Amino acid sequence: MNPNLIPALDPAGLPGPPWLFHVLLVFTFFLHMLFMNLTLGGTLLAVIAHFRAGGRREDPRGALAGRLMAVNSYGISLTITTGIAPLLFIQVLYQQYFYTATILIAGVWLAMLLLLTLGYYAAYLYKFRGAPARGQGGGLWLFASAVMFLAIAMVHVAVHLLHSQPERWADVASGAACVLGDPTYFPRLLHFVLAGIGFAALVAAWWAVRQARAGVEVELNTRIAGFTWKWMLWTTILQVVDGFVLLLLLPRPLLIGFMQGGAATMIPLTLAILLGVGLLVMIARVTNPVASSGVVSGTLGAMVLTIAVMSITRHQLRVLSLAPATKLSEPVVVPQWFNFSLWVVLLLAGLATVGYMVRRVLDAPATGADAA
Amino acid sequence: MGYPIWDVTIGGSLLMALVAIPHVIVSHFAIGGGLLIALTETLAVKRGDPELRGLAKRSSLVLILVSTVFGAISGVGIWVVAGLVSPGAISALIHTYVWGWAIEWVFFVLEIVAALVYYTTWDKISKGAHLLVGWLYFVAAYLSLVVINGIVTFMLTPGRWLATGDFWHGFFNPTYWPSLALRTGVCLMMAAAFMVFPAMRAGAPHRDRLLRFLGWWFAAGALVSYAGYRWWEAALPDSVHALFRGATPKLATLAATRHFALWSLTAALVLAVVILLLRPRLTRPATAVVLAIAAFGFFGGYERLREGVRKPFLIHSHMFSNGLRVAEIADVNQRGVLAAAGWAGHAAAADPADTGRQVFRAQCASCHTLDGYQSIRKALPSVADALAVAADDPAGSGARAYREHCAACHHDVNYDDMKGMLPGADEIRSDPGMIRDLHQGMITGTLVELRAMGEAYVAADRTTMIDTSPLHSPYMPPFVGTEQELQELAAYLGSLVFDVEPRLAMRGGE
Repeated sequence: MNPNLIPALDPAGLPGPPWLFHVLLVFTFFLHMLFMNLTLGGTLLAVIAHFRAGGRREDPRGALAGRLMAVNSYGISLTITTGIAPLLFIQVLYQQYFYTATILIAGVWLAMLLLLTLGYYAAYLYKFRGAPARGQGGGLWLFASAVMFLAIAMVHVAVHLLHSQPERWADVASGAACVLGDPTYFPRLLHFVLAGIGFAALVAAWWAVRQARAGVEVELNTRIAGFTWKWMLWTTILQVVDGFVLLLLLPRPLLIGFMQGGAATMIPLTLAILLGVGLLVMIARVTNPVASSGVVSGTLGAMVLTIAVMSITRHQLRVLSLAPATKLSEPVVVPQWFNFSLWVVLLLAGLATVGYMVRRVLDAPATGADAA
Repeated sequence: MGYPIWDVTIGGSLLMALVAIPHVIVSHFAIGGGLLIALTETLAVKRGDPELRGLAKRSSLVLILVSTVFGAISGVGIWVVAGLVSPGAISALIHTYVWGWAIEWVFFVLEIVAALVYYTTWDKISKGAHLLVGWLYFVAAYLSLVVINGIVTFMLTPGRWLATGDFWHGFFNPTYWPSLALRTGVCLMMAAAFMVFPAMRAGAPHRDRLLRFLGWWFAAGALVSYAGYRWWEAALPDSVHALFRGATPKLATLAATRHFALWSLTAALVLAVVILLLRPRLTRPATAVVLAIAAFGFFGGYERLREGVRKPFLIHSHMFSNGLRVAEIADVNQRGVLAAAGWAGHAAAADPADTGRQVFRAQCASCHTLDGYQSIRKALPSVADALAVAADDPAGSGARAYREHCAACHHDVNYDDMKGMLPGADEIRSDPGMIRDLHQGMITGTLVELRAMGEAYVAADRTTMIDTSPLHSPYMPPFVGTEQELQELAAYLGSLVFDVEPRLAMRGGE
């Protein structure tokens, strides 16, 4: 590692203690992951379901594609919105690594904006123009949207891998494509893609089970639940395998770092592995999701917990990777406690307002002349 | 300065403008649209007016498709581009205003959720609940402007922050309130301009009424914008005025931008009065597009002006446009710019013959491209320029060449003086090397002047906004670095024009 290539810490200092920004970065990243999984995984699953149905909306898989993209047209907005916060906090904590990584692959990082715009509008075109209520159509828009989101995932994995590897920067500067040569690149990408498909499949299954048990389109929802449950099973099997491959491919110093980190690093890692395997067992035991709604809800809870724990482990991996660089200089802390407190108060007020708004909306159904 | 340098062909500032200007247009529409749509629906409910309701409903689809999609992506895009072209500046802003941005994010979350709920619940919930969602959207959207306005205006007029470093001193800076007033007016104009399109789709008996309704809001927005603009100008210090106001503005392009912006606003107001208020039947897609373009022209011009008059700073009196902080000038002069700019230094160490180019990349490339936007090659003196001035063939072309190529630096001499100082055209053609030597000396001399500006910055009182107007080039950062780096840069710049001069000279200098 050439320390001269690592830009200096920002002289303005951190406007709060480092631990606070670590917590905020991980927590907001976790929130972003929930929506990102729905966007990426949901769109990929929608493509699979759409083409397996031969593009027909009458087929339960075609209906599933429509459902997933109906959620996604809003979910993409929330993915972007929740992505802003971790993007903000990573720039506070790791700006010198993050900006450098983005500049080294500037073209593709910038292209992400175009990919996102095209992917988003393609999703809307599928919703409004492409997919008829009956019959066939819409596959092209759906496919385009999925390709864009997959490309964005590739860009993000590249940037986040690169920002934690200052020792590779000089090589990458002479040829950005060598980012893909990192042995962990594709396993990491696969980890995100499989998690996305699995999570989106689980959410779709959970909703279908609820609907079926409420007596709404029972046959359709039962078939959708069965289809998505199978996809969840297979993606989770692959995910567990990929997770172990990724662990084995990690550089030895990082593995030793995890061991030497004691409970702080070993508990999340162990928990993540146990949750992954546990999820597999839970999913495999269910043959008819509609008949096992409790297990379905429990699986969803366990999946959310797994994502939370994996977010912590991922962050710890970054901390360990960057340790040789970060130990060279300590950031100055210039806390802004009043401003932080104001943010917390406004955050709580904002969430309360969202809650109030949603409650008012749910309590005020109306039709005909009484409706807005 | 320690970041890698991205050689973006069109120039970093132009790239930023390409992302930022569409974003601010859309984001201001999103705010103003929130107000007008909520207001329109409120009036529709009170009056039992289905046409007004239809206008609000159709406009809400535009709001979703344009603001929550394009607005959100391009907003992230500003961070993305800033991180690529000005990482030091965005880092400084984020480290100072992270909690401001975090607060804005809270309002943004509320805004997005409200927008999605509002659009989705047409015909599904009670009128009162729907209106509540619409107004919540507007309040959240406007509060996000209230926050981001503090950070944006801080960059031009940091105010007491320069002395205290206090978050709120920088936030409520001298141009905060004028800018908020201006942007509030712009929000109304943008919203009315966009909503004209859904209004045109109303049935014939109601179309004119809806367009007049929007016309009043557009006119109100234009007048508030104008008042805000004049207030904003009045709040700027004299040293900033010197760049774009007065009989001899330092940056003529910014003076032209000011005129463009104000004439665009005038045109927009007149057009709105005619096609929306007086003769709504004249409102057609083409005239509506012209109205929107005129409104964009004002706002885009203002944004260009606001960015331009900050020169040579990214954060006034704190950080220059190339990421150099005023506080580190003396240190960089001592250590050398290549030692401070690790990536450029790394490249220069690997290829010492490339040292001059690396100094250029570290210090100049944030504003100057080689041949594109703010082309450095075009800014440098060439044999062809000298030949054109000396030959004056056809008559009058010499004076034009002088104005275009010489006057910016040689403002103390006129065309005749310059022609008198130069050798004759035939002499230049027979011995262009003499002019090249002269030009090399001019380049080096200019760099020495730019380095001397650094001493003025070091000596300046940095607790208030620095008056740049007495400096040699008040819109440029100082040259920093060692004597050897200065010479390397001068040689590199000289090589940029000398390589292409034979081709230019073939054209007889014109």
